Amino acid sequence: MERADLRAIYQQGIAALEAARDLDALEEARVRFLGRKADLSNLLRSIAELAPEDKRVVGRFGNLVKKELEAAYDARHTQLEQAELVHGLAKDSVDVTLPGRELPLGHLHLITQTRREIEAIFIGMGYEVAEGPEVETDYYNFTALNTPEDHPARSLHDTFFVTDNVLLRTHTSPVQVRVMEKQRPPVYVIVPGKAYRRDSDATHTPMFHQVEGLVVDHGITLADLKGTLEQFAKAMFGEDRRIRLRPHFFPFTEPSVEVDVSCMACNGNGCRLCKRTGWLEILGAGMVDPNVFGFVNYDPEEFTGFAFGMGIERIAMLKYGVSDLRLFYENDLRFLTQF
Amino acid sequence: MKAPLSWLREYVAVDLPVDELADRLALTGTEVERVSLVGVRDDEKVQERFVVGKVLTCEKHPNADKLHVCTVDVGEEHPRTIVCGAPNVAAGQTVPVCLPGAVMPDGFEIKQAKLRGVISSGMIMSEAEMGFAVKSSGILELPDAYEAGELLVDRLPLSEYVLEVEVTPNRPDCLSVRGLAREIAAVTGEDFLEEERFDFEYGSRPVVDDISIEVWDPDLCPRYSARVIRGVTIGESPTWLKARIMQIGMRPVNNVVDITNYVMWAVGEPMHAFDLDKVRGGKIIVRRAKEGEPIHTLDDVDRVLTSDMLVIADAQQPSVIAGIMGSMDSEITDVTTNILLEAATFHGGNIMRTSGALGLRSEASTRFEKGLDPNVTPLALDMSCQLITEICGGEVSVGTVDVKAGEWNPWEVRLRPSRVEAILGTRVETDDTAAVLGRLGCEVKSAGEELLVLVPTFRRDLEREIDLVEEVARIHGLDQLPSTVPGREQGRGGLNVAQNRMRTMQDILTGAGLQQVLTYSFHEPGWADKLRLPLDDARRAAVVVANPISGDQSVMRTMLLPCLLATAARNLAVRNTRLHIFETSKTFHPEGAELPRETERIGAVLMGPWLQESWLKGGVATDFFLAKGVVERLLAGLGLVADFTVATEPFLHPGKGARVAVAGKEIGWVGEVHPLVLQAYDLPAGVMALELESEAIIAVAGGVPLFEDLMTYPALEQDLALVVDAGVAAAELERVVREAGAPLLRECRIFDVYEGESVGAGRKSLAVRLVFRSPERTLSEAEVGEVRAKVLAALKAQLAAELRN
Repeated sequence: MERADLRAIYQQGIAALEAARDLDALEEARVRFLGRKADLSNLLRSIAELAPEDKRVVGRFGNLVKKELEAAYDARHTQLEQAELVHGLAKDSVDVTLPGRELPLGHLHLITQTRREIEAIFIGMGYEVAEGPEVETDYYNFTALNTPEDHPARSLHDTFFVTDNVLLRTHTSPVQVRVMEKQRPPVYVIVPGKAYRRDSDATHTPMFHQVEGLVVDHGITLADLKGTLEQFAKAMFGEDRRIRLRPHFFPFTEPSVEVDVSCMACNGNGCRLCKRTGWLEILGAGMVDPNVFGFVNYDPEEFTGFAFGMGIERIAMLKYGVSDLRLFYENDLRFLTQF
Repeated sequence: MKAPLSWLREYVAVDLPVDELADRLALTGTEVERVSLVGVRDDEKVQERFVVGKVLTCEKHPNADKLHVCTVDVGEEHPRTIVCGAPNVAAGQTVPVCLPGAVMPDGFEIKQAKLRGVISSGMIMSEAEMGFAVKSSGILELPDAYEAGELLVDRLPLSEYVLEVEVTPNRPDCLSVRGLAREIAAVTGEDFLEEERFDFEYGSRPVVDDISIEVWDPDLCPRYSARVIRGVTIGESPTWLKARIMQIGMRPVNNVVDITNYVMWAVGEPMHAFDLDKVRGGKIIVRRAKEGEPIHTLDDVDRVLTSDMLVIADAQQPSVIAGIMGSMDSEITDVTTNILLEAATFHGGNIMRTSGALGLRSEASTRFEKGLDPNVTPLALDMSCQLITEICGGEVSVGTVDVKAGEWNPWEVRLRPSRVEAILGTRVETDDTAAVLGRLGCEVKSAGEELLVLVPTFRRDLEREIDLVEEVARIHGLDQLPSTVPGREQGRGGLNVAQNRMRTMQDILTGAGLQQVLTYSFHEPGWADKLRLPLDDARRAAVVVANPISGDQSVMRTMLLPCLLATAARNLAVRNTRLHIFETSKTFHPEGAELPRETERIGAVLMGPWLQESWLKGGVATDFFLAKGVVERLLAGLGLVADFTVATEPFLHPGKGARVAVAGKEIGWVGEVHPLVLQAYDLPAGVMALELESEAIIAVAGGVPLFEDLMTYPALEQDLALVVDAGVAAAELERVVREAGAPLLRECRIFDVYEGESVGAGRKSLAVRLVFRSPERTLSEAEVGEVRAKVLAALKAQLAAELRN
C-alpha cells in the first residue's frame, strides 16, 4: 500500500463529504469512506497482514486519514443539520398580522377606578378609609349632623325613608359621626360609599357615590382644608390646577365652602365645560360645626376639624369627559369597556 | 330668587357692572345661578329704535277690516305711517312704538313691511310685546306728558337685568330684594338705603270694628298682624308693577294680589289678602286644623288636613292653610271691595312639615319654613297699604290688629378675635372683623380682648361665635387664605386588611376577564317571583322603601343576581350578546334590629361564549365549569380552596348548581340559571351565575403565608385510572384519595373522565394525577408504592373503585 493510495482515499473522502448536499447524501458518503466495508476500514482491519513497511505507513497515516475524515463528517453534519433547520423554519412561517389568541380583559367600573384614585391620594396624605351603613337612622344622617327635625336644610335632601326613623343615607357624612363616636382625635379618614336621594333626572341618579373626608386634630384650620383640597385637585386633575373656596351653607360645617377647581379643559380661561367661568365646582366642605362635636363629646375648644364631601361621579365625569351621569348605571358594555 | 337689578338699586347704590356684582356675590356666599336680561337687548343701537309716539291720525285700512292705518309722530321731521291691528288704537293717543331695526324681547326683528298694500314703517306695541304682561288685548297707552321721540328705555323698564340667586336655607333674609340689597351693601361696601317713610293716610273707621283676630295656637303663630282697607277697586296693575311681577317669574293677577306678591318679594314677608266680606263672623281664628278638615285650595285641589296643621279660619271654616296657600272661597275677586291684609310669622318647622305632608310648596311656604323675622310684619303692612291706596284706592281702617306672642330684640354674641384666627388659620385684624360685622347690620362693641356683637333680628342664623367667624371669613375674603396641610403626629393612613382583600377580589375578577358593573341597590318587588323563590324563603324578607320614585325601585336587594340578570337583559337588548360581568355591592337583610344587616357580596353573570370562535377555530363556551372556574380562581387568589356540593336553589338548573363552602362555612352558590328564570328576564338559555358573600371570604382568608421548601427534594408523580360507579362524585373520590394518601400525597388532580363500553355500563373512569412530596427527603419508589397501595385499598373499600386495565 502506498502513501499515495491513502492520500487518494483522503482526498476523495473529503471531497465526497463536502459535496454532500443533504444529510442522506452525507450518510452515503460516510458509509462509502468510513463505513465498515469502506476501503479504509478494510485496510486498517487487515493491517496485521501487511508487510512491515506498509504496516508502518498504514498504521501511521491510515488512522490519521480516518480521524480527519471523521472530523470533516462531523463538521459537515452540523452544517447540514443547521441548514435543514433554517430551511424548515423558513417553511414554518405564519402571518404575524393575524389577531392573537383572545385573553379576556376585564375592567373595573369607572366609579371604582375613580374611587381608588381618590383613595390613593388621601392615603398618601395619611388618611384611613372608613365605611358605614347605607340604611341609616335619622339620628346619624341628620340630627347628629346638626340638622334637627324641622331644620330647613332637610328640605335640600329628598330622602328615601324606610320608616319614620330609618332612611337610605342621603350622604356619606353620617359615617363622620360613627367614626368620631368610636375614636378620639386625631381623626384622618375618608369615607367612600353609596348615597341615595329621591331625585332622578339628567343630572341626578337616585343612587350615587360620595367620598367624605374628615380631619379632627389640634389646631386644624380652614387654611389646612384649602391646602389639602389643593393637593387633591392637583393630584386628580393635574399640577396646573388651582382651587378657590366660595362660602356656602351646610348644617354640619361652619364656615362652609364650596370648592371650585380651575377648568382643566381651558386652563381657567373660560370654555363650554366651565360655562365660561374658568371654574368647575367639585365639592362642598367646611370646618366641623361645634354642635357636631357636641354629639360625640369632642371639646371644640381643644380640637378643630374640617370635613369635605365630593361626588365620585362628578369627579369621574370631569376627568374622563363623561357627558351623561346616567351612563354610570346603565352598565352598557360599550360604555364600561372604554375605561 | 330672582331680583331685578333696578329694584335692588332702590336699596343699594351699587354701580358695579352686573357680571362683577354677580362674581362678588358668588365669592361671598350668594350663588348667582344666572344673570338674564329680561326685555330688549341692552344695546343703545337697539334701544334707540323704541320710542314714544303720538298717534296723529287713525283711519280704517282700505283693504282689511281689522287693521288701522295710522300716522304717528315719533319726533322725526315727518310722521311715520304705521299699520296697527289693535282694537283700541285711536288718534290722540301717546303710545310705545318700535321702529324698523328694533329687535323685540323674543328676538323678532321689526322691518318695514307692506301690510295689505300699505307700507308700515314700525309697530305700535302692547304690554305683552314688551314683556310686561303674559297677554294683552290691545296696545299700551302712555301718559300724554311723554313727548314724541323720547326713548322708551327712559320711561319703561324695557331692558332689565335679573339676578337669579340661590339662597341657602340659613339666609331667609335674602329671599327678598331688600335683604339681598343689604347683603350686596355688605359685600361691596356700598350704603344700604332704608325705605322712605310711608305717607298713606288712615280713614276714620277703627280696624277693630272691621275684624277681630284670635290666635289659638301662638306656638305655631308667634305674630299675626292685620289691617283692613275698604273701598278698593280691583283691576289690572299698572305697567311698572306688572313688569316687576313678570321679571320675578310670576304672573300678574290683579292689582291687590300683585301688590301682595310685590311686597313679599320686596321685604320677604309673604302676605295674604282676604275678601273681608267673605270672612264669616267678622273673625279670624288662627288655629290647628281639625283632623280631617277639608279645604279647597287655590290650585283647585281638595285637600284634607290633619290636626298638626295650622289654618287661618273664620268663625266657620278654614280660609287658608297658614303660610302655604289660600282657599278658593276666600280669594279676592273682581268684585271685592273690602280687604283684610295679613302679615304673619309662623313656626318654620311646622310649615315645612305641613308643606311636605301635603306635597304643596309655594313662594310663601319656602320663606316661612325657614323661620322669618317677626319684626318685619309692620313694614310689610305699611308698604302694602301705601301701594294699595295709591293703585287700588280705598281707605285704610285706623290701626293694626297685632297679636304677638312676645317681643323680639337683638341678642348679644361674644366673639374672640383669637378664635377667628384659630378657625381660619390666618389673622384678621380686630378692626376689620368689627367692620365686617357692622356692615352686616350688627352693633359691635369691644370688651377687653373680646367683641360684643349685637345681632339684628333679621339674622336669626347668627346665634353663636362660630356663626360670626363664618361671616368674617366670607366677607373678609377666602381668596386671601393661605394653603397649608395638616401634619399628622400620630397614627397612619392606609387600607385595612378587609379593604385590601376586597380590592384583591375585584382585581382577580377583572384579571380573569370579567367586567365590573354597578347597579342600583333597590329593585322591583317582583324579583323574588321571577327567581322562583318559595314564599317562605328568607331572602324574600327585604327592606322596603316607603317613598320610592317608582315601584321598580322600591325594594332593597337581598341578592345581587336579579340586578345582574336585568343588566344582562338590558345589554342583550342593545346587542351586547357576550357579557361576563360581576358586581361587589351590599345586600340588606332585615333581622329584627332597627337597622338591617348589611353584607358585602360578589355576584357574577356569564352569558355568551367565554372565548369567541376565531380563525384559530374553537372558542370556549360559557358553561357550569367556567362559572365554577371563576369561583375557584377567585378563592385561589386569596389562598382558599372551596368545597362544592349539589345545590337546590330554585333559580338554578336542578342539575347544574353547586353550593360553595370554604373551611366548612357556606359562602354562596354557583350554577346555571334556571331556564324559567332566564325566560322571566328575556335571556337566552345557558346563562351562568354565582354569588358569594365576600365578607365571609374575607373573614376566612388566611393571613401571611409562610414559606415551605418545595424545591430541595423532588416530587414524584403517578397517574391512576380508576373505575367507579357513575354516581360517585368526583369530589368524593378525591376526598378518599387525599385522606388515604396524606401526608406524602400533596396534590390530586382529576384530569380525565371517561364513560363507555370498555369500563362497563353504569361505570365511569376517572384519571387522577397524584403528586407525592416530602419536605425532608427524596422519596423512593418503594415509599410511594406503599402510599399508592394504601390509596387503592381505601378506594376499593369505600367506593368499590378498581384500577382500570
